Amino acid sequence: MTDLLFRKLQRRDRRLSEAEEKVLAAAVSHHIEVEADVEVVRQDEISQQSLLLEQGWACRYASLPDGRRQILSIHVPGDFVDLQSFPLKRMDHTVATLTRCRIAVYPHANLRKITEQFPHLTRMLWLTTLIDAAILRQWLLGSGQRSALERAAHLLCELRSRLDVVGEVAGETFDLPLTQAELGETLGISQVHANRVVGALRNRRLVTWRDEKVRILDWPGLQELAAFDPVYLALESMER
Amino acid sequence: MAHAAIVTDLNPVNSNLAAAHGLPTGMPGRLIANLEAHAALAPEERAAVETLLGAPKMVPADTDLVVDGEGAADCHVLLEGQAFRHKTLPDGRRQIVFFHAPGDVLDLQRAFLGVDFSVSSLTLCRVAPISRARLAELIVARPAIGRAFWRMSLIEGAILREWMLGMGRRSAYARVAHLLCEVYLRLQRVDLVQNNRCRFPITQNHLADAAGLSGVHTNRVLQQLRASGLIELRSRELIVRDWAGLAAAGEFDPAYLDAHADGIVSPRSSGVPRVAAD
Repeated sequence: MTDLLFRKLQRRDRRLSEAEEKVLAAAVSHHIEVEADVEVVRQDEISQQSLLLEQGWACRYASLPDGRRQILSIHVPGDFVDLQSFPLKRMDHTVATLTRCRIAVYPHANLRKITEQFPHLTRMLWLTTLIDAAILRQWLLGSGQRSALERAAHLLCELRSRLDVVGEVAGETFDLPLTQAELGETLGISQVHANRVVGALRNRRLVTWRDEKVRILDWPGLQELAAFDPVYLALESMER
Repeated sequence: MAHAAIVTDLNPVNSNLAAAHGLPTGMPGRLIANLEAHAALAPEERAAVETLLGAPKMVPADTDLVVDGEGAADCHVLLEGQAFRHKTLPDGRRQIVFFHAPGDVLDLQRAFLGVDFSVSSLTLCRVAPISRARLAELIVARPAIGRAFWRMSLIEGAILREWMLGMGRRSAYARVAHLLCEVYLRLQRVDLVQNNRCRFPITQNHLADAAGLSGVHTNRVLQQLRASGLIELRSRELIVRDWAGLAAAGEFDPAYLDAHADGIVSPRSSGVPRVAAD
């Protein structure tokens, strides 16, 4: 069941082979099922395995000593949530599930074998962590320079693009199991402000968002408001 | 979006420029120290890393070293000087996303794909190219080198997350103090802090663009930090008068800079930051 990851990587690099797909699948030791709102990797933990989300949603966050929390990334099926813990070991943030999740476990010993025997695949895995950083730069740009409304629009554009690659967008509609408190913690605003922002997107007839489902009414309009350019997601085949 | 190649080759005047600014010549050691921050390389691996570097070039201050949208290509390591990484919205609003210290690779991402950011010099810089083709070969021949570069790129991610946390949840005062702590500590780790002083070519406008604040607001915060006796900032120099106070003001914990692999602590970054003892 690692086909989502494979599908995503193969879109970036069509030369990814069946043999490499098998290597990736064989590196999984087992699967776990986790309920919503469970911390699966904690800040400062020394990890011996990396986790790939197969079903469900998760997020990374960091907290200040007084409890203020900032969500640092949102993960969808096909994403590694903590691949970085393989090269770096110690986590600088926490990973928690947003919904019930099915997770494939990759022991670091198996990932290490991949880095020693399959350089091309290693590059593809490395690349996924570089794209995580590119997404963070976009979020940082947003939090410093975009209005809350533009940030919300950008987040929806980004999620729609990432979900589309793994076949999770149907008829311009996708699941988004974020509470308004969590949206606030993602955008760096209060829950009340988050609520207002979602209302403003609806009033502009760009999206509707209810019962954890987002429907995009005006995709070009949403992209324009967000100044969204998906290049940083490197979703498509690229020069190598 | 892509403009002409930017790294100006000033080779004919290299030595003069360098000498005039008191820069030592040839410092691949800083890159290697950076790569070894988490696990030592074997002597032959160190030698192999040195062969990656092309001839260094001097680049004047305020020059674009990397331009957003440029495709995959050779990367660049900053050997001397300071630079910053930034992104700009179509309407011109600019966000600084990284301040670079010597030893940093400015655009490792280019070994894989195009860049989603620009990098500009803050001072006269010595920059050496890293051959993309050689790097690809070396990662195959020496997986330990590949992992070391990978770790280095992941530490950048940790720094980005720390900035993101600050932007979302820290006060303006804490954000600016945190930035000063990070820049100071990273410069100290490459021995560029003496007597609690470091060169500080980062202007108030740069700080504002990094912290997501207005220039006026940033100025007010800097005044507060000065008035509290934590720092002095003058003629492109930062003096930290009270490191513990500045770190407290910035809610600064350097752990994010040191996600030590397997608990291996390098001599360069061992234990408590040296400034703490001052």
